[in-house]
Amino acid sequence: MTAQEEPRIGVFVCHCGHNIAGVVDVVRVAEYAKSLPHVVFATDEMFMCSDAGQQLIRDKIAEYDLNRVVVASCSPRMHEPTFRRVVEEAGLNRYLFEQVNLREHVSWCHMREPELSTEKAIDLVRMAVARAAKLEGLPVKSVKVTPRTLVVGGGITGIRAALDIADRGFEVVLVEREPKLGGNLVKWNHVFPVDKSGKKILGPLIKRVKSHERVRVFTNSEVSDFDGYIGNFVATIRNNKTGKEEQVEVGTVIIATGFKAYEPVEYYAYGQSPDIMTLAEFHQRPGDELLKRPSDGRPVKKIVCIGCVGSREPGKQGHEHCSRYCCTAVAKTAADIRSDVEEVVVLYQDVRTYGKGHEEFHRLARLRYVMYSKFPREEKPQVTVADGELTVKWHDVLSGDDFEFHPDIIVLASAMVPPDGIDDVAKMFGLTRSADGFFNPEHIKLAPLTTHTAGVMIAGTAQAAKNATESVVDASGAAAKAVGLMARGEVEIESTTAQVIEDLCSSCHTCVAACPYGAIAMDESKDPPVAHVTSAKCHGCGTCAAACPSSAILMLHSTDEQIMAMVEAFLTPAPEIGGGEA
Amino acid sequence: MATTAETKTQDEQWEPRILAFCCNWCSYAGADLAGTSRIQYPTNVRIMRVNCTGRIDVDFILAALEKGADGVLVSGCHPGDCHYTSGNLKLRARWALLEEALKQAGVDPRRVRLQWASASEAQAFADGVRIIVDQVRKLGPMKEAWK
Repeated sequence: MTAQEEPRIGVFVCHCGHNIAGVVDVVRVAEYAKSLPHVVFATDEMFMCSDAGQQLIRDKIAEYDLNRVVVASCSPRMHEPTFRRVVEEAGLNRYLFEQVNLREHVSWCHMREPELSTEKAIDLVRMAVARAAKLEGLPVKSVKVTPRTLVVGGGITGIRAALDIADRGFEVVLVEREPKLGGNLVKWNHVFPVDKSGKKILGPLIKRVKSHERVRVFTNSEVSDFDGYIGNFVATIRNNKTGKEEQVEVGTVIIATGFKAYEPVEYYAYGQSPDIMTLAEFHQRPGDELLKRPSDGRPVKKIVCIGCVGSREPGKQGHEHCSRYCCTAVAKTAADIRSDVEEVVVLYQDVRTYGKGHEEFHRLARLRYVMYSKFPREEKPQVTVADGELTVKWHDVLSGDDFEFHPDIIVLASAMVPPDGIDDVAKMFGLTRSADGFFNPEHIKLAPLTTHTAGVMIAGTAQAAKNATESVVDASGAAAKAVGLMARGEVEIESTTAQVIEDLCSSCHTCVAACPYGAIAMDESKDPPVAHVTSAKCHGCGTCAAACPSSAILMLHSTDEQIMAMVEAFLTPAPEIGGGEA
Repeated sequence: MATTAETKTQDEQWEPRILAFCCNWCSYAGADLAGTSRIQYPTNVRIMRVNCTGRIDVDFILAALEKGADGVLVSGCHPGDCHYTSGNLKLRARWALLEEALKQAGVDPRRVRLQWASASEAQAFADGVRIIVDQVRKLGPMKEAWK
């Protein structure tokens, strides 16, 4: 592919099912694209990322001898790697691909503006085609992957991931903020679906991870600085007790920062009596005191459990999600203690015991005469505390009756929410968070364990509310991702670095000062000396290119020419389409 | 040439045309999240992706305004959060020159806006779009400003 070759551009407009096509007139956009300079083929297709969509691109590259491809679909942060691979499979250089974001940047944020959205889509496609015409192929580069993983968080997820990786022969650095490993789980005297305490379950694993020859455990510690790129990260680990810092080089990262049990201060008189506690607090009580009333030590005879506390509340930020562990945890707890007390009442919005073996716990609880009563979402039970006595009043949906009950203790199945400091973790590792407050995966369905920061994985409740079994599945999955990268030993990286056009360089040193990485130096062997970029050090930010007063720096894949082509295309009036024939 | 009456009708229908530059790591992702979160904002912006706001040459912005963009929005990482450590600060230094150049040319500097929005600040991104669209709407078409 030479720069002189006449561009032959193919444009593929994606419906994304109803996601784009429900707002944007994709047929009109594709039809319009045909009228643009250098476009020799344009079409619309239901799912460009599907096998059929990918095959369509490969077929049309061959059929029309395309040398540039524009796909107008979702964010390039999601599928640019997919489509780059597709064009490569058809023999085109990956840098001759350009993506237009019609979903995140158009249809999803202008859902009630179909006409204006279509106009915007047309503009964006025109801009992308103009840029595509100026694209040039670049050589593909790769870097070595340091065979060591940083695991952030020493709960069940972090421990499982660390062991999986270490057992496969790679080194692990496990960092835990608390003085001891084990996270939330180790504190609980009961963890479904087994009949064991967290300590019993985790004890052997903690022992093994601590003594593993390839695992270094840092407790009381946090990652205080993080830098680098996939395969070549440098993390600074600070011991919060001693203040000592140590730098480690790692190739991959797994974030397993977990959750905290929501403290439901605005719910059900929580905080007004020691006899009202969260499920997490209930399970942290010593076994022999489990069924004694915290306020006076009298035996507990009547218990009320309330579900969905701080979960599943539409419109309440960070509390709209289902916390997914609570229904089963409540069912198991209720079934277990039923024979030791007189009455157990479970007040619920819905019962969702979805996991393997979970429904059986729900059935067991019912068989043992645990009373389940459904309350209306918009009319929650009322809890009052008077002279140390608890009163619960609620409306039962199924009978239509109002009830009143005086339990000895109330157990609130409170939501899983992100732990303190999650914002700092997000910033440090360049992660985003979804509406539930947990970290966003690269793709919710297709890439739930990887993130938009290449080389950084998420697992367990760092990713979303889930139970321990599911967290362990995540941990092994993320470990496999990390091991996959490290076993291959090298990974492809972007070739988009800066280059100096020596004839234009006026030796002013502006770029040398502008570069944040010290990647530019003056080549003194030349007379006069000219700027020189060390590609391996260049991260491709392009700051030098913008700073150079002589336009002597070519920022590959983001050249002045490519950017100006888009600016001009945006402001060039759209040619009329069809001329009546459409 | 359009008659006065026609021009007026055009003016009434006029919608600000705004070009936006977003850095790949913070604001482009923030704009993605705005979409994913279904946060609705005006359709007037056309977003271009650059690796870093440090890549943005003042010339790009001046050229856009000269060619008829009614406003330009630049959105990047918060100071201290730049994926490339300091590209955003380099742009901020240039921004003062840009505003001065615009004033010298008789162009209201409210036609350009520099904002910081991280990958998780979808609402801040959308709010910023609303702000520049409102500002530019009050200022009127750029073509009139050059006259």
